[in-house]
Amino acid sequence: MTELKVVGKRVERVDVRAKVTGGALYAADVQLAGMLYGKIVRCYDYAHARVTSLDLSEAAKCKGVIKVLGPKDVTQKEYNASVLDMMVSADMRGVLGDIDDQSIFTDHVKHYGDAIAAVIAISEEAAERAAEKIKVTYEELPVYMTAEAAKQADALQFRPEKPGNLAFQLPEMAFPDNAYAWGEVDKSFDEADIIVEDTFYVPKQKQCQMEPGSYIALYDDQERLNCWTSTQMPKLVQKKLANLFELPMTRVRINATVIGGGFGARLGMVLEPETCALAMAVPGRPVKVLSTREEDWVTSPSRHPGKYWMKMGFKKDGTPVACDAKFENYKGAYYVDASGTAFTTGAWLGGMYKFDSLRYRGESYYTNQSICGAFRGYGNPQTNFVMEQMIDRGCAELGVDPIEWRKKWHKGVGDDGWCIGVPYNSCALDECLDRAAEAANWTEKREKYKNQTGTKRRGIGVAVMNHTSGAMPMLLEHTVCDALLHQDATVTLNLACSDMGQGSHTTLRQVAAETLDFAYEDIHIATGNTDAAGFDIGAHASRTLYVGGGAVKQACEDVRRQLFERAALELEEDVDNLYMEDKIIHVKGSSNKSISVQTIADQGVNNFMNPETGELIGQPGQIQGYASFFPPHNAPPFGTTIAEVEVDMETGEVKVLELVNAHDVGRAIHPGVVEGQLDGGAQQGLGMALTEETYYDDKGICQNNSFTDYKMFGPSDMPKMTNILVENPDPTGPFGAKGVGEAGLVPPVGATANAIFNAIGIQILEAPITPEKILKALEDAND
Amino acid sequence: MKKHAITLTVNGEERDLVVPSNRTLLDALREDLGYTDTKYGCGTGECGACTVLVDGTTSINGCLTLAATMDGASITTAAGLAQDGNLHPVQQAFIDNDAIQCGYCTPGMVLKVVSLLDENPTPTENEIRSGLEGSICRCTGYTKIVEAVQDASNRMAGVGE
Amino acid sequence: MTSRVMRDFDLLLPESVPEVLELLADHKDNCAILSGGTDLLVALKFDYAVDNVVSLALVPGLDDLSFDPDQGLSIGAKVTIADIVKSQDVKTYYPALWQAAKVFATPQLRNTATVLGNIMRASPAGDCSLALYALGGDLQLKNASGVRDVSLDDFWLSYGVTARQSDELAISLRVPPPTAGQKSAFQRMTRTTEDLSKINAAVSLTMADGVCQSARVAMGCVGPTLIRLPKVEAMLGGAEITEDLLGEVSDMVAAEITPIDDIRSSADYRRKVAGILVRRVINLALTEGNNQ
Repeated sequence: MTELKVVGKRVERVDVRAKVTGGALYAADVQLAGMLYGKIVRCYDYAHARVTSLDLSEAAKCKGVIKVLGPKDVTQKEYNASVLDMMVSADMRGVLGDIDDQSIFTDHVKHYGDAIAAVIAISEEAAERAAEKIKVTYEELPVYMTAEAAKQADALQFRPEKPGNLAFQLPEMAFPDNAYAWGEVDKSFDEADIIVEDTFYVPKQKQCQMEPGSYIALYDDQERLNCWTSTQMPKLVQKKLANLFELPMTRVRINATVIGGGFGARLGMVLEPETCALAMAVPGRPVKVLSTREEDWVTSPSRHPGKYWMKMGFKKDGTPVACDAKFENYKGAYYVDASGTAFTTGAWLGGMYKFDSLRYRGESYYTNQSICGAFRGYGNPQTNFVMEQMIDRGCAELGVDPIEWRKKWHKGVGDDGWCIGVPYNSCALDECLDRAAEAANWTEKREKYKNQTGTKRRGIGVAVMNHTSGAMPMLLEHTVCDALLHQDATVTLNLACSDMGQGSHTTLRQVAAETLDFAYEDIHIATGNTDAAGFDIGAHASRTLYVGGGAVKQACEDVRRQLFERAALELEEDVDNLYMEDKIIHVKGSSNKSISVQTIADQGVNNFMNPETGELIGQPGQIQGYASFFPPHNAPPFGTTIAEVEVDMETGEVKVLELVNAHDVGRAIHPGVVEGQLDGGAQQGLGMALTEETYYDDKGICQNNSFTDYKMFGPSDMPKMTNILVENPDPTGPFGAKGVGEAGLVPPVGATANAIFNAIGIQILEAPITPEKILKALEDAND
Repeated sequence: MKKHAITLTVNGEERDLVVPSNRTLLDALREDLGYTDTKYGCGTGECGACTVLVDGTTSINGCLTLAATMDGASITTAAGLAQDGNLHPVQQAFIDNDAIQCGYCTPGMVLKVVSLLDENPTPTENEIRSGLEGSICRCTGYTKIVEAVQDASNRMAGVGE
Repeated sequence: MTSRVMRDFDLLLPESVPEVLELLADHKDNCAILSGGTDLLVALKFDYAVDNVVSLALVPGLDDLSFDPDQGLSIGAKVTIADIVKSQDVKTYYPALWQAAKVFATPQLRNTATVLGNIMRASPAGDCSLALYALGGDLQLKNASGVRDVSLDDFWLSYGVTARQSDELAISLRVPPPTAGQKSAFQRMTRTTEDLSKINAAVSLTMADGVCQSARVAMGCVGPTLIRLPKVEAMLGGAEITEDLLGEVSDMVAAEITPIDDIRSSADYRRKVAGILVRRVINLALTEGNNQ
């Protein structure tokens, strides 16, 4: 490959000037003439109840109220807010069964915060005050907060078609014995010299994106439904809303506003259905719905909590012979994407180590918790917490170094990836481990931290992970990109990929510039308008650079091909005999035969006849590149984290001293963007390991849906961070790039748990690992 | 409910408005005056997305301030930091150090840093981290924000110029 | 659950203390006093309803923070936590208060929240209140008929309830002058650095020739109000503070507290670490708590 000019450079991000001056418009910042405000009335008294009466009359009389809507005043159609069903084949949809189990407003409350009714008023204040006047009475129903409770024989059934409240298990059709498996697990355990086994709990973590859910909808005078939303997935939300309101896609437009963080919370629909239903009730008037932080917490999806059992067998020489696991997640009140995490949690497990045999079962149970869905990592952090602690327990019993063991037994090129049958095509995990170990002084510190006796004890731990770039072949992967060459030889890319702040519009622009051999400044990315943009799945599964970048690259190659074809005609030369430099196409070996891109572009648009010859001057037709791109693979990123902690043996408090992250990123298109993903991911991974969990009382009332009561790592809590970017270009990625959006979150989870294990010699089986749990474990160990 | 006629000087421009008693400074800025660069993140003073400066240097939470108590105050929002089209050194440092991702915390964060550096022009890393508490960023893990503050501190002291 | 828009109330903006007192007398319990407002506004966004809010914003003469070696420290009603952090006198003579103020909430909240507001809130977790409890002090409560002094020892009656009458305004707090050999410290435990305390402790010890002459030991988050630990204070008073004594003190603490389970921690955990925290805060006072 020739030297890269734009790829790999720390160019100024496309969006930061607007953000730093406050000019970036998030959904809540959009003001439209004649705006009305919607307030959704939610049930905060019960987590499970039937509405026995609903009296809207007092609210309707309030000053400033335009309309009050109950369940019967909006579409009765049920829907599934997730978009996973749109990413699988019709056959697979059939296997999932009826998963449309949500309604705009409900008379059967299934979780704290379920929506009952709404008010539309001339101001936010009027809507809020009127909403307080809506009178609802309830009949309390039994509450099921865990899988264990929900699957009891006498438990009330959430959906008759999902008996046992089992929303999903791996389907027999694709997974014999309902397991994701290879080899003969039971037999393999017979060959094991050492067996480790335990049941863990993984917590309900919240994305806590800084922008709470904010939406505007307008059913306009062309009878088109417009929705302003910071969704991660404009094109799928467009189709979902078209289905829900029975409109053709041409009559639904998503205006994708700047996204104030996503991390999975905006994957699929959140409050778009409610907001659009309100707008449909007042045609011609825009309706704005703004969530409080607490409301956003319980209406957008969280990470799946649940019980995670795992058993591993090893031979004395360290050979991993068998792994058996089961994850029962507490899905929440609605199906959402019950099939997704239940599968992927096992996929990441299967993708990591060379066990002779492995069997994983994943089950999603309806519970009276607020919904779970996508959260950065999508099952991987849960697996990392459990799998990596089990590996370290095995290593401790085997008496081997956890890094040496991992280097020997992790999967690599040619091995089945996270999806059986799709082998890994690149892997630089060994280099990641070597460089991280060196940077963290692993060997020296492991030795030093043996046999400590003081009040403050240190530990150092490691974890590794595999992830993915896009969800191929499990889910549809497809992005469409247009690249329009303007007459001044600049290019506008038109595509629906969203940038949640991770920098994808910047890196896509770099890919375009590099492909075209144009300047970074010559490219503009137009997004945010589903009227104009072709299909795109949306921002999830660490796919935007890998798949979106593939589409951008292909569209730009198409532009380049057309430029060269036209140059060949103009210069009367063979295409193969041309080259481009500084946007001028030259004939090889001929110093005076050339034509500029500018000339070709201009002649394509402003094409005239030569009045003397009657012939066209140059080639007519504006050049437009196009790609409808399906990636050939999923370019798995690998990574490791080494964490160092200090545990206070008297109080159980943990201080994280340092994290060293080394990631196989394929190629860092923009190193600052990659580092930012690793830094930010680590903050969330540390939170999951140590402080973050949404919890409920025994009635199902959420206890900490606020920043006052739910604590994330702040600036003073974050440790020293060292990021090592290992660049081992993937053969299928744009310029070798892999997705890094999620990877950074994953290994800090297991590494932190293992560092605590190293410090105190005890494994804590429930995350987050709070001081309370550590102190209790220390006491139990002394008893 | 009582209404109050007040005058706020926002980013150097004097603005007269009438606010009801319960109007927060945040809503007055966003809804009445159009300064949507000041964000709602939690409404309870935890996240700092609504941070504005009073008299150019003191950072406060707009969500926990009643507009009517601010009559005569001079308020700076992120939109008012740049002078004559030139970004404030703190803003430039945030850009140059990749300290911005989703950007929702950014207006409040840069104002907070302006305040921090006014009080302590050469903070240690620990002082920076303590000073950033109360401005939650969920994207960056704070690493690059800390680097941006150090960079801004150097720029404002003229180091390397 | 908060509202995005607070419920109706009338904001009253008196311009002098007598005007404030008049309004308080008029509205009695249907009235809240707004100083920093960082707790009050949050409460108003939740379910607290009141028809009148009396702001001190325009009232002059309440922002005095002054120190005199003979008179002690005087903290006016509008003195903010940030004012405390900036005060060299507080840092020098009242280390416990300075340490509490330094970690109190966030910079923005410190710029707004007031010391007296923290006391009036009567939270069992209040950091600055706790430090002041250990240091001791008298509140000046004023109404239309005069001023009375109430010791902090008698001020917090139960959760959120104080000895302030509804027509009274807390004008200032007077903290006694530092005594020779006085050492004080504050320490807390939180889930993350920025958080409300899940347990906190403050001590003020008067030391002479290595012997503790008297001690005030206060704890938060272990009862419905901030509490003092009289048995622990008695053990320390007149004793040489040795590691053995601190071990006994530490064991005694659990007997003096009545913690509960809440969102930030469990009663069990608080009971386990309370003694350790007291031992540590005493050690902190002895090593870094000098008042000169």
